[in-house]
Parts: sequence; structure tokens; C-alpha cells
Amino acid sequence: MSNTNHPIMDEALLDRLKEILLKDDRQELAEIKKILESRQHLSEKVSPIIEEHLSLLKENFSTEYEETINKLIEVKLENSQEQILDTIYPALGTMIKKYVTLQLETLKESIDGTVKNTLSFTAIRRKFKSVFTGVDESDLILSNVRSANMEEIFLIERNSGILLGTASIKKTIDQDVIAGMLTAIKSFVEDAFKRESLELEMIEYGGYKILIQTFYSYYIAAAVDGTLTTLEKQNILQSMHDFASKEIPNIPKPLSNENELISSKLKDYFIKGNTIASTKY
Amino acid sequence: MTSKKIILTGSFGVGKTSLFNQFIFSKFSDKYLTTIGVKVNKKTLNIREHQVNLLVWDIAGEVSQDKVPTSYFLGASGIIYVFDLTRPLTYKGLVTDIDYLKQLLPGGVIKIVGNKKDLLNESELNEILGHVDLPVNITTSAKTGENVEQLFIDLATELI
Ligand SMILES: Nc1nc2c(ncn2[C@@H]2O[C@H](COP(=O)(O)OP(=O)(O)OP(=O)(O)O)[C@@H](O)[C@H]2O)c(=O)[nH]1
Ligand SMILES: [Mg+2]
Repeated sequence: MSNTNHPIMDEALLDRLKEILLKDDRQELAEIKKILESRQHLSEKVSPIIEEHLSLLKENFSTEYEETINKLIEVKLENSQEQILDTIYPALGTMIKKYVTLQLETLKESIDGTVKNTLSFTAIRRKFKSVFTGVDESDLILSNVRSANMEEIFLIERNSGILLGTASIKKTIDQDVIAGMLTAIKSFVEDAFKRESLELEMIEYGGYKILIQTFYSYYIAAAVDGTLTTLEKQNILQSMHDFASKEIPNIPKPLSNENELISSKLKDYFIKGNTIASTKY
Repeated sequence: MTSKKIILTGSFGVGKTSLFNQFIFSKFSDKYLTTIGVKVNKKTLNIREHQVNLLVWDIAGEVSQDKVPTSYFLGASGIIYVFDLTRPLTYKGLVTDIDYLKQLLPGGVIKIVGNKKDLLNESELNEILGHVDLPVNITTSAKTGENVEQLFIDLATELI
């Protein structure tokens, strides 16, 4: 504001006037300034207020509020999907990893469950393994003393995940759930990485490997316990191809679920003959 | 014994996992743990002289069905489309979603399910059902278990 038209005032008088008029305010102002300047002071004054409000909010966070917030979240989600995707994508990789690990853990547990009660060298080795699960060194140490073992072989309908046939060293539980879960993991991973032409070929968990060969309407999965050399891995994959080209054509179509013929052929081919043992190094 | 693949789908938080857990394990939890990826489990039902092995896929919810990986639906015999009776947004896109699913799975059986009926009284329920654009096959409560087994029995009966 311009003061050219104001009568000229005595500066000192003006100051004096200000002081009288604003005295109380100034004192308060100085106090506030002091508080603001020291964090300690500030938090002492503010914390109880915040705390009080928080506990008030906690007590009174009724379903009414919840509903409003839910609605808000839904609208927000609808309107900003792009943004959300951008935020979520970087975390997705980790989530997939976590998910796959988790599912495999379950899978492994059900496979493990069948040998739990057998006091054999394998069982003891498994015990050791479960104790050391997650520790890389122990895996390394153990991998030197154990050879690979074909535990279980599955023939699974590719799309539905329905089990067509299976054979294993010992009878395991819920093979059709394992088949479904494997298929779900396969779909999930293949979809997550948007590689339509690529098929998931191997899943590794701890000492377990699940080798997968996908054919047109079905896939074959082998659960192998132990360390596989590249040669052994290739042998198994080759056997799967042989099975698909030599055995499957002789089985009446359409392939029905839990087909006895498929199961017995799988047993002859993969379990009795033990593909891995015959090529042991 | 015949095996059938069933998919539980719908928006997030509508109670797919809760229906799955109630059906398979007879359990319910108030906690909401959103599903990542897929979870598969099975239950065998006896329908008259038939034994049907239902392999149920519980998948992550999506706001619209075209966001769900199509590979999940491949080879499925039935789809259970779940919405939340208390959240209109979860059935807003019903017609579009069902059209999409029908075209994805021609000949498949689709059940439209309104869940969380325990949160409503009868007149509220009827009013809401009047606002849903397609006939609802069954209303359920994963919490109390009401109609949960019935839903799967109805579906299995149509599949054999
Ligand atoms: N009162 C009530 N609550 C339910 C019912 N079904 C599910 N809920 C609750 O709703 C929330 C979400 O349930 P979920 O089963 O996890 O939902 P979902 O559809 O699997 O969700 P996503 O996996 O994220 O797609 C949980 O807190 C459940 O406890 C029901 O029938 N009644
Ligand atoms: Mg869920």
C-alpha cells in the first residue's frame, strides 16, 4: 500500500503505538515461535492431541465409515487402474516368486508326506533336507552325496489340469490336486510373463525339480528328488518324448481321467526302468 | 469316476476364497487375504449313483472378466461367477462379464451367485436381487455356510 497521501507520522510514535496495541499478541507470537523452533517442544504439545484424536478415531471407526471408505476405494480403483498397475508391476515379480515358492512348498509337503513314516535312508536324508531348507550351503553339501531319484510321474490334460495318469515310487495322496496345482502354476507363470510360445519347462524347489514337457493336449511332469546333471535332465526329457510318440498313440482316445492303462505304462516307462538310475554318474 | 474343472471367478473381495474354503474344509475366516494367482483343491460329491470329482480353481478377483488370464478357463466344465450382494459395483458389469464368459466357454455351465447374504434381511435381499440385471442362480453365505454345498451340488448335477 502506498502511503504518499497519509499525513506524515512520527516514526517513534508509531512504534510506541504498535507496541501498546500488539503487546499481548507479540508475547504469544514469541512463544509460538519458540515452540516451533524446538522440535522437542512442538512434539510435546502436539503429540497428546494427535494421540487423543487417534484413539477417538479408533473407537469410533464404525461400519458407517468403513462403507464410505470402501466406496471411495472402489471408485478410486475403477478410475485409476493404469496408475495402480504402474505401482503394482514392479512388485509383481516378487509376488510371483513368493506365490510359486509357496505353492511348491505345499506340493513338496504332500510329496514328502508319503515317505515321512518310512525309516529309510531316503527318509533320513529328507529330514536333513527339511531342516536345512533354504540354506544354500547345505543344499550344496547334500547334493554331493545324493543322486537323483524319479519320485513321481504325471500325465496331465494340458488345459483342464485333470490328471490322466500317474505313477510313483510310493502311493501319494491327492495326485489330482497336485496335477491341478501344477497346471495352475504353469498357466500363471506363462501368463505372467506373456510368453505364449514359451512353455514352463522346469520348476525348482529346494532339492526338488519338476521337469515338464508340454505336448498338444497334455503334458508330462516328472518330480525328481536330488541333483540332476544336464545329461540326466536330457535323458528324462527324451523319455518323455519317446513316451508321447510311442506309447500314447496306442492308448484309446479320448484319454479319460485317471486312466489305468496310462498309469501302468508310465510306471513301466519311468519308475520301474528308472531312467535316472540307469544313467547315474 | 469323472473329474470336472470348476472356476470360481468374479470381482475381488466377493468371497470366492471363502466359498472355496467353506466347501472344501467347512471353514470360514473374517480375515481378507486377497488371492494371488490360483489355488486348486478338490472335493468328491456323490450325485445319485455318480461320483464326481470337482477340481475347484479359486482365482484372483478382477474388476472385469476380460482381465482374467484366459488360460485359467481352458478345459473348465463350469464357472461360478460370484458377486457381493452388498457391493453394487461387483454386479454392475454382470451382463458384459457373463457374455464374455459364455463366448470363452461355449457349452460350459455358468452359475451366477450372490454371496454374503448373511449381511442382509429378506426384504433387503429381495430389493437387491431386483437390481441385478440377470437372474441369480443362488444366494449364499460363505460365513454361515448357507447354500454353499447346494451350489456345488446343483452345478455337479448339471455336469453329469
Ligand atoms: N459376512 C460375510 N463375509 C464374507 C462372506 N464371504 C466372504 N466374506 C468376507 O469378505 C472378505 C473377502 O473374502 P474372500 O473370500 O477373501 O474374497 P475373494 O473373492 O476370494 O477375494 P480375492 O481373492 O481378492 O479376489 C473376507 O473378509 C471374508 O471374510 C460371507 O458370506 N459373509
Ligand atoms: Mg480369493
